[in-house]
Amino acid sequence: MSKQCIAMLLAGGQGSRLYALTQDVAKPGVPFGGKYRIIDFPLSNCANSGIDTVGVLTQYRPLQLNSYIGSGQPWDLDVDDGGVYILPPYQTAGEKGSWFTGTANAIYQNISFMEGFEPENVLILSGDHIYKMDYADMLKEHLSHNAALTIAVQQVSMEEATRLGIMSCGDNGYINEFEEKPAHPKSDLASMGIYIFNWKKLRDYLIADENDPKSSKDFGKNIIPNMLAAGEKLWPYRFNGYWRDVGTITSLWDANMDMLSTTLINLYDPSWPIYSRSPICPPHYTGEGSSIVHSIISEGCEIFGRVENSVLSPSVKVGRNASVLYSVLMPGAVVEDGATVEYAIVGENTVIHKNAHVGAEPDGSEKWGVATCGPNIEIREGAAVPAAAMIYTGEEV
Amino acid sequence: MMNNYHGIIFAYKSYPELRELVAERTAASLPICSRYRLIDFALSSLRNADIVDVGVIMQRDYQSLLDHLGAGKPWDMSRRSGGLRMLPPFGLPAFHQGDYAGTIEALNAVASYIEESPKKYFVLMIGNLCANINLREVCRVHEESDAEITAVCANYEPDVLHNRYVVGDDGYVMQCLYDRSGPSQGIPSLECYIINKDTLLRLMDRCRALDKYRWHQDAIAMFLREGGKMNTYIHRTYARVIKDVNGYYAANMDLLLSGNRASLFPPSRPVRTKLAKGVSTYYGTEASSVNSLVADDCIIEGSLENCIIFRGVHVEKGAVLKNCIIMKSGIVKEGSHLSYVISDKSVIFSPETTLTGSPKLPIVVPKGTEV
Repeated sequence: MSKQCIAMLLAGGQGSRLYALTQDVAKPGVPFGGKYRIIDFPLSNCANSGIDTVGVLTQYRPLQLNSYIGSGQPWDLDVDDGGVYILPPYQTAGEKGSWFTGTANAIYQNISFMEGFEPENVLILSGDHIYKMDYADMLKEHLSHNAALTIAVQQVSMEEATRLGIMSCGDNGYINEFEEKPAHPKSDLASMGIYIFNWKKLRDYLIADENDPKSSKDFGKNIIPNMLAAGEKLWPYRFNGYWRDVGTITSLWDANMDMLSTTLINLYDPSWPIYSRSPICPPHYTGEGSSIVHSIISEGCEIFGRVENSVLSPSVKVGRNASVLYSVLMPGAVVEDGATVEYAIVGENTVIHKNAHVGAEPDGSEKWGVATCGPNIEIREGAAVPAAAMIYTGEEV
Repeated sequence: MMNNYHGIIFAYKSYPELRELVAERTAASLPICSRYRLIDFALSSLRNADIVDVGVIMQRDYQSLLDHLGAGKPWDMSRRSGGLRMLPPFGLPAFHQGDYAGTIEALNAVASYIEESPKKYFVLMIGNLCANINLREVCRVHEESDAEITAVCANYEPDVLHNRYVVGDDGYVMQCLYDRSGPSQGIPSLECYIINKDTLLRLMDRCRALDKYRWHQDAIAMFLREGGKMNTYIHRTYARVIKDVNGYYAANMDLLLSGNRASLFPPSRPVRTKLAKGVSTYYGTEASSVNSLVADDCIIEGSLENCIIFRGVHVEKGAVLKNCIIMKSGIVKEGSHLSYVISDKSVIFSPETTLTGSPKLPIVVPKGTEV
């Protein structure tokens, strides 16, 4: 059995810049955009692109992610000769085994998994990006340019370019230079962290890199520069659609707000559905006195108060005379009567008790930011959580 | 695991009083409460009691039902052995024509399926019952009694034709009253039974020999006449048997009351339904929604009051809906005013359409119509 392309999804990162939201779950498992978790986007892209074999590399807090992915059925990835595989680090005979020490090392440790499918190409994905992309189209370019590696790139502003991995291309269109976070970018094409490798090349470079004691075992820092230095053909796949990294509180909040606009990314487009594992709950109910404007509401919600410019996951309750403004409420969050949540992210099953106030409007100051409550927290009656606060599970407020 | 039970759901009836709503489906596959089909309640009641060997008896117009049930995955009934089985007629004599003459004939049409079951008890349910029945409890009561049949009954008075059981001083059923339409002696039946397999096969056999096929008038009457012991179990929360348009409309509206929702959707016994894709519902900048149930995947830009909205519905700006049921993929265009309307799947209301029904006479718009 040989596969034209299989996918490897890097889902082991903690996402430490999401602080309280990733204490118990890896970043790809964080709820997003109402009914989704971040990992639904790359998984659905795979399913829609006809890639039926996906290895999901997990390491940090994998339990929720493992049970969420399960057999892969929600993404139609429960197929006979492929499917979704959870790949944790493991022990080998006579050795202690080791954690994944870098993105390249994580893939290196799973060479035998990939070999089992005799792939011609391997797609490497991150579990922390929100976008809809046809990987089949990227693969077509990869093959037609006879590339050893194709990197998805997006045009960014020169200011953003200083914070990203930047590609420069020669006259023939192939990539001739790669710089991580350059102070003076030579180009505005940023790597999206989506790679298609020719399998044999990938294998060779992974083994060589593993044997290099000075390497930090990272695709951006080691593998790509090594391939460029050796004169391999690296092709940029230009992508103009919506794409966001949701690695920080601000970017996670921003991207959730983007979901309210169908012009940025249309989740209602039947030709490219984003699938998710849905909880079992009844339709949402809007009660007397409710007012819902420019918001996303999911199944199982019960709304009796005011919701504006917000994204509500399943089974969120908003009480009478409560207000939820410019906020992201994760599954099972409760905003009791008279409470206010504004410019905030509220974690799973967190309860904002009566008349409490979480977050504040932007005041133009440097210190302002989105207020965040982690999962399973009780914000007591009448309490105030200021802007930019970060409340961890177990804290008393 | 409750391994001694086998479920049978009767999904072959269309009920003419459901009019346009059953033109292309049976009552069991009627969409209800924004995201369910009626049969989801029977299937979920069985599943929540770990009864996953279930046969669904169907006779005609079952395409929509087959599409909904698939392999039974949402109810965990897609099993290596047993699980969900569709039972179109296969044991009927060649000369048979028309509808099943009664429940017993429907059962006899699939007799070999029943005979082959290794289970000791059967749960018989109708597909058009809107109730979340705690079957685990009913089964316990049945096993603790020495009755051969336990009938689940309601604690409300139905206003549609129904059958009633009169219970004697010994706690067992003395008599069955047929086709009542209002309060009377006895308690109303929800047509959900636990019956010992031996008893079921005996009744099927004897009725066939007599060429009599009605459940109440023939089988149960014979059983009681011969001194058989029949117990009752009262289901004390919400339940409705859906047989006509008004009953269908009323049941949907009943679910706008939180108490009814709580009894139909207890977290410990969830109602499961076919998986759908994941997108949530978007409310626009001029939307308003009061006392309404709305499924996922909708775009609401107009205003809703006392409405039941199914998946994929688009209510455009300036549209005003009151007391309406809008089924899957309906589009209500700008400036339309709808009141007491039941629109079937994929109906399009052109801009500025006005349609007004009444609580006792809701307007039914058939599937795929453009108004």
